[in-house]
Amino acid sequence: MLESLKLSLHIARRNWAVYRKDFVANVSPTVADPAMILVSLGLGLGAFLTNIEGMSYMQFLAPGLTIATALFTSYFETSWGFYMRMTYENVYKAMLTTPIGVNEVVVGEFIWTALKGAAMGAGVGVFLAIFGLMTNPWLLPFVALVAGFVALACGSMGLIATSYVNNMNQFQTVYSFLIAPLYFLSGIFFPIQNMATPLRVIAEFFPLIHGVRLVQSLFWERGIAEAFAYSGSILFVQSAVFCAFAHYRLRKKLVL
Amino acid sequence: MIFARALTKKFGDFTAVNELSLEIRPGECFGLLGPNGAGKSTFIGMVYGMVLRSGGELRVFGFDPSTHGREIKRRLGVVTQENALDESLSVHENMMLYAAFVGVPPNERRGRVDELLEYMNLAHKRDAGIQALSGGMKRRLVFVRALLGRPELLILDEPTTGLDPGVRHLLWGKVQELRERGTTILLTTHYMHEAEVLCDRLVVMNQGAVVAEGTPRAMIDAHTPGYMGIYAADQKAKIASLVAAYSHLVLAEDSSGLYLRAKSMDELASFRQNHALEPLQIRPANLEDVFLKLTGREISVDA
Repeated sequence: MLESLKLSLHIARRNWAVYRKDFVANVSPTVADPAMILVSLGLGLGAFLTNIEGMSYMQFLAPGLTIATALFTSYFETSWGFYMRMTYENVYKAMLTTPIGVNEVVVGEFIWTALKGAAMGAGVGVFLAIFGLMTNPWLLPFVALVAGFVALACGSMGLIATSYVNNMNQFQTVYSFLIAPLYFLSGIFFPIQNMATPLRVIAEFFPLIHGVRLVQSLFWERGIAEAFAYSGSILFVQSAVFCAFAHYRLRKKLVL
Repeated sequence: MIFARALTKKFGDFTAVNELSLEIRPGECFGLLGPNGAGKSTFIGMVYGMVLRSGGELRVFGFDPSTHGREIKRRLGVVTQENALDESLSVHENMMLYAAFVGVPPNERRGRVDELLEYMNLAHKRDAGIQALSGGMKRRLVFVRALLGRPELLILDEPTTGLDPGVRHLLWGKVQELRERGTTILLTTHYMHEAEVLCDRLVVMNQGAVVAEGTPRAMIDAHTPGYMGIYAADQKAKIASLVAAYSHLVLAEDSSGLYLRAKSMDELASFRQNHALEPLQIRPANLEDVFLKLTGREISVDA
């Protein structure tokens, strides 16, 4: 068990070593995208939406951006990124002849995705806190925790997609019909209770909406305990289920 | 060291390995020959646990690879058919990562990597990127990677395919050194000369099963003893009609020419003199002749 975990950490470390080499390029979208949304929607659209849930639109929008970052960073890493590593860069082929097995590869990718999601989510959180959009910055570690779990669940979705696609183009379909809807319909941009009931019910089955509720409670210091009791436990269970399924699918793909 | 009995692997309707039985003993260099698609790579995948068997028995170091993969993989090294080097990392970073994977203690990793880079004449490329290496250098680096864990069993899956003769001979020398130091070697190759030079024993596989086994010499003696006179294909009609009178001559052909086999040089020489037919070449039969005969590429000509 301990040895297996050590080997998984080596895989996470390998991904970090590669990521670090092109740090500016890799980190650019994570920094630029939320900033762009904050300026265009928060400042632009916010001029017309002066009171949403008793706050400015900027304040409403801010927390969800940490979760959006966790979603994108993990999905791209485990879909295009993992597929590239597996198929074109042949990273795992030789690894699997060493004491590393499918378990270690998958757990290693989980560790890397969760840590990266947590760091990116928290990084965006720090930036937002500096601009006064978070009432209590001491809650940032919890934002990191939530972002980590969202990244784990969304990263598993990416790995599951990887196990089904026949080529990289097919990730576009997953993006268009799963990832983009989650992004737009999980309460980041408008209060979720205003959404049509069927859509809201469907959204409950995915991790994003719960992550958004959690960080909103943290950013606004509103109903934190309730959010963690309800959305926190659902997010935890979802992460576990998605991880288990991703693990099962990749084992089937890698062991013949 | 490796023991297989009636080992079978099916992919749907296709049987990749069919009731394969063989035993590889400690300290020997064992060759696995066979045409593309004969099941060699599937068998190797089964040895390190990435291909699960459909039937039969397989033991590596006494363990079952489908349940004790890590115990087995800790003791073997694989020169993979494709290089599969991590192009995002430098030569040294690649090897340090793999040193960690195979369990070299952190304070010994640097020394072990440098020692093996030196051994494979790659020390000067230590900090280079993978893309900057030639094909031969990449292959040598894959050898370094396979040796990092000081394996008891070294699996070479087509180690010299696509390499120039210089690199090939260098690698043969290294393999012989390792074997002298007691490393057991499992080799697959399409180069019959390579198998003759390196292997103590070998098997020829075809369509997933062993069709012949023995030492290289014994296999030549058993299947294609003697000498080969090679003629151009356009002489087929003429030679085929003449050979009928010589009971001790065996004629075979493939798309590259006609092969007339005899027990001795003299028999071939007298056939040449009697009919004033000049062969392209006369040479001792070799493993390639055995291979072609056993894998069905040698098509007999009815005299």
